[in-house]
Parts: sequence; structure tokens; C-alpha cells
Amino acid sequence: MNRKEMMAVLAGIGTLMMATTSSAADNDETIERGAYLARAGDCVACHTAPDGEDFAGGLGIESPFGTIYSTNITPDKKTGIGDWSEEEFAAALRDGKRADGANLYPAMPYPSYARVSDEDIHALYVYFMKGVEPVQHQPEETSLSFPFNQRWGISAWNWLFAGGEVFEPKADRSEQINRGAYLVEGLGHCGSCHTPRGIFQQEKALDDSGDDYLSGADLNDWLAPSLRGKGDGPHGMVTWSEDDIVEYLATGRNERNVVSGEMTDVIENSTSHMSEEDLRAIAVYLKSLPANESSNADVAQTGEEDNTRAHLDAAKDLSSAERLYLDNCSACHFNDGMGAPRVFPALDGNSLANADNPTGLIHTILAGAEMPSTEKMPSKLVMPGFAWRLSDEEVADLATFVRQGWSNQGGKVTADEVSRVRDELHERSFSTAPASVIDGEEFKKRSGDGNGTRPEHNQ
Amino acid sequence: MSSRIQNRQRRDFIRGSLTMIPAITLGSGVTLTAQAAEQAPALSDYSPLFFNDDEWAFILAACDRLIPSQGNGPGALEAHVPVFIDRQLDGDYGHATDWYMEGPFVAGSPDLGFQYPYTPREVYQRGIALTQRWCQQTHGASFDALDAQTRDQVLSDLEKGNIDFAAMDEEWLPAADFFSGLLQNTHEGYFADPIYGGNRHMGPWKMVGFPGARGSFRDWVDQHDVEYPLGPVSLSGERG
Repeated sequence: MNRKEMMAVLAGIGTLMMATTSSAADNDETIERGAYLARAGDCVACHTAPDGEDFAGGLGIESPFGTIYSTNITPDKKTGIGDWSEEEFAAALRDGKRADGANLYPAMPYPSYARVSDEDIHALYVYFMKGVEPVQHQPEETSLSFPFNQRWGISAWNWLFAGGEVFEPKADRSEQINRGAYLVEGLGHCGSCHTPRGIFQQEKALDDSGDDYLSGADLNDWLAPSLRGKGDGPHGMVTWSEDDIVEYLATGRNERNVVSGEMTDVIENSTSHMSEEDLRAIAVYLKSLPANESSNADVAQTGEEDNTRAHLDAAKDLSSAERLYLDNCSACHFNDGMGAPRVFPALDGNSLANADNPTGLIHTILAGAEMPSTEKMPSKLVMPGFAWRLSDEEVADLATFVRQGWSNQGGKVTADEVSRVRDELHERSFSTAPASVIDGEEFKKRSGDGNGTRPEHNQ
Repeated sequence: MSSRIQNRQRRDFIRGSLTMIPAITLGSGVTLTAQAAEQAPALSDYSPLFFNDDEWAFILAACDRLIPSQGNGPGALEAHVPVFIDRQLDGDYGHATDWYMEGPFVAGSPDLGFQYPYTPREVYQRGIALTQRWCQQTHGASFDALDAQTRDQVLSDLEKGNIDFAAMDEEWLPAADFFSGLLQNTHEGYFADPIYGGNRHMGPWKMVGFPGARGSFRDWVDQHDVEYPLGPVSLSGERG
């Protein structure tokens, strides 16, 4: 190294040191706390494209109005938010305002993030500016059709449905419940999926002052069940203890159920990274919300569950659906439909099996499912998909049986419904037909003498 | 020989109890899946992936004698055992893909396992060619042209090593090894899941009362003196 180069290196070190000194106030602790809050807010879920860099945006989010693309929120100055001030950052999170003043689409859950405290906004800002690597990447622009491309129109929507205040603890609740409410209503934005939406696609309630809050919704044909846990009933969150909820959020599985659908990623990316203390606060809060009529339309025990089991046990006079269950499902979910805790979800009383919309159940039978890998439960247990093995008729028969067996009281499923789900199956199915399934190919006489396919044979 | 008698008794017994199944099934009105009723393509329509025509003729003729059609269950040909063997030889097994195949090769105790550099494909190619040559020399016809009794004798001579491959300039492979591999693969093709090409329509499973890939019998542990009423199911979901 010559002298000139040495000087350049020294100058570089000097600059670095200055940079470090100037950010002394925003110490590692703040960055770390911001990272934790970004987990709680699950920012990465929407702001990362499949196979893309974390936070660099580009994920297409289906909405009733068209596809909305998430933006780059890395501190890249050109394509990300590197130029944003903390005020601009706060306005985006809470009010849905872009730095240039335009409205964000409410796919961004700013009506929920409005509750986030100044202190937490600051920590998030520091994290995104200093704890995240800038990535230069310009995601696809959202271009909805008229009138939804008129971003100014969202102002009226905001005036009507958003604009909540920063969370205020309620004096008549414990500190723990207040902490849980803050996380659930704010960064957790649980209501985005679990609160039913009104005709303007607004969440019918943004906090627990409304009975509709977290009372369950149909999310892209998949049930997002009610999270209101106080009350009695045979099924649903009312049967879950606080421990059950904490365990579920930390690992995606508990004594009663195993996660499926969209929630799988939420657990893997967000809740499994949260502290036990915060998860318990969430559980205590959810258990404090009275389950309302509509969320608790669950069935009473009918004694039917014993009949189903006895019939499967005897294995005589079986319907084709019962035979399908024995041949395909009972090895793991068992004749009593109770599965095994943390490994095979119970089908008796299963929320997905009893949902009004059977799509989630059909999808699970066809494509299978995979548990999230979390620190406490790293194993990604997999249910194989049966799309390659069962016809539409057979899946419809089987799904109807599962929805009506034991104490379940779901509706009948038709082959047409199965066919529709099959057509839209994600390419990522958890299992496919073994390569060696006889497809009759080798029974078709090949043209030519076939020697070309076995060169070593005629040596 | 006594074990063979026991086997026959077991086969008869099992067959006897299994004839109950169709009666129960019909009585209960269960419709078996359409797949089971579909006829798989005939063996004569199969074009082998590995064997050439001469070898294929040998395999058909040999399997036909190892598990004949006149027995209690389906014969090896009805069960498509040759399809299984052909597909196995076309795959990893045939190529000994994950076997240690380097020397040294040491003649000696049978505990050492096979001691030659041949993959199963090569064992079949050499074994068949040598046997055909021996049949031509001894009987003036290829193995597949011989009558059943003579074929049985040839197979028996292979098994006992009465046919001397070494005298026919085969450096490594003993006739008995060729035979035992063929017999083992025939058993496997008869009872392996139909997904591998043999065990057509689970006929062999039905014969012995094996319930197949259902994988769950917990509910039967405490049902005493109750006949298991279900026919088998295969990996691909075929019900029989």
C-alpha cells in the first residue's frame, strides 16, 4: 500500500467514526427495539416480494379494486425511504400519507398503526434508517383502474374510517391488558384480517369499543376466525386458555389446533419473534373480549361425535366418504377426529372445517399444509396434498364428511366447488404425485426400436 | 419342505377367510373406486424400458414358473411382476447407483455378500444370456420355448448351481446368485405397492389379506374376534 492509498483509508475511517459519533443517541438498543417492533408489525410480510430482498417491496396484494404493490421501505435514497424525515415516516404509518403528500392505499394498515406511540414510531424510524441495509430496487407501480387510481379520493375514506388516535391505556384495565390491546390494535393489526369489513372495505371496528372487533371474517375465501375469547362454548377461542394462545402464537401449534393458511406466515415472520411477556399480554387481552352471538354460532355437543367414531371403528356399511376418510385421513387424524396435539390438528370442532366457506378445507385437502418453523418448534411438519390421489368427487365427498362428522355442522361440498379450488391451486403444493405413479406412459408402444433409450445394452 | 406345506396351508386359510370380503362389500353397497374396476393395460402391451425382446421373453417365461397362475392367488404374470423388475432395473437399483461397487472382490464366505463388479442390470443381462446359451446347447431351444416342466428343471438347476456359468467362461457370476436375485425380485414385484408396476390391482395383497397403505389400525387393537372387513388400499389410492 502506498502513501496515497493509506491516506484514503485513514480518511475513510475518520468519516466512519464521525458517522458513528453523530448517531450515538440512536444507539444499538433503539435499533434493536425498532427491529422487534417491525416484527410485531410484520412489515416484512407485505414489503418483501417472493424471493426478493427483505423490505425492498414489490409484493402484489390482491384487493377488490386490483393489485396493489408494496413499496421499498429500505433506506435507499432513490427507490426507498432514505430521504424521509421522521415526521414523514410517522405520517405514512399513522395517516397513510406518502412523503410527497399523496395518499397510500389502505392495504397499508395505517388505521391500525395510528395507535402506535411516538416512542415506538421513533424506534421504528431509527431501525429502518440505520438497522436495515439500503436496497436499490424500484417495485412495480400500483395502477388501479378509475376511480380507484384517484388517490385523493382516499381522503374521504380516511376521514370516514381512519384517523384514530394514538393508543391511550384505559384506567379500568390492568397494565397487562392495556399492553395486549396496544399490540393487537396497533402494530399487530390483527383486525385487518379478523374483523369483518363493511361495504367500503373498512374494518367495522378498529378497537374493542365495537362488538364486531375481531369477531371473525372471510379472508380471500379462507376463514379468519373470531379472536374474542371470553365466554362459553364448545369450540373456538372461548375454549382456548391463555397458555393455548401464547403457545399458538409462539409456535403455530397447541393442544387444540395447528395453524394453517395466511396465519402460518404471520407466526413465522412475526409473533414467534415476540417476547413471552408480550404474547401473554395479547392472550389476556383476547380472553377479555366477550365472544358475541355471531362469533359463537358454534355447535353444541350432539353425541354425534361418538356415532361417527363407532361407525369408523366398525368399518362396516361404510359410505364412500367414510371409506375415503379411513384410507386417506384416519392414520393421522384418527377415527375420533381428535388428531394429536401439536402434530395433527383435531378435525372435530375445527374452525376451518366448520367455516361457512369450505374453500380453506378443500384447499388443505388438495394442496396439503406446512407448519411454520419457529425457534421453539423448528420442525416444519407437513400434511401431504391429495390433489394427485383424489378426484373432485372424492374430495367433495370427503370434505362433506369432515364438515358433518363428529360434532361438526358445516355444509355440503360439491365437486364443482372442488374443481374451482383445484383450478386456482398455487403451484407451491406441499406434495405431488410420486414420479413412479403409473401413468400408462410405458404401456404406450414407443415408435422406433427403442434402442436409443438404452445405449449401454447393446455393447 | 415343511415350510412350503405350512405356506400352502396358510394360503388356503387366508384365501378361505378372504372370500368373505366380496360378500360383505356387496352386501353393504359400498362402491369400490372406479380405479379398481379399470383394467390395467395388458402385459403384452408393455414395452420394456430395459430388457430387449429376447431377455423379456426369458423374464416372462421364468416369472411364470416362479409364481404360476394355477396357484391360489394371481400368478406373477397376472400381477405384472415383469413390469416391476424391468422398471427397477431401469432405475437406481438396476444401476446400483448408491452401492459400493469397487473391489477388491474376494471369493469365500457367503457372509461377504456378492463379490463381483456387476450391477443388477449386468447380472440379469449376463445371467439370461448364459442360461439361454445353456438351454440351446442342452435342449436345442431357448428357455422360453421349453415346456413348463423343463423350465422348472432349468430354474432348479440354476438355483443349485448345477448349471456351471464358470465353465461357460463367466469369470464372476455364479448361476445360483443370478437365480436368487431373480427370485427375490419376483417376490418383491408380487408384493410391493402397485405404484412400482407389479402387484396389479393388489391381487397378491388380497390373497394374503394385507390391508395395504392404510397405515392405521389402532382402532383394531381392542376389537377381539372381529373380522377386519376392509380390502386393501394402495399408495395411489386404489381400493380393492
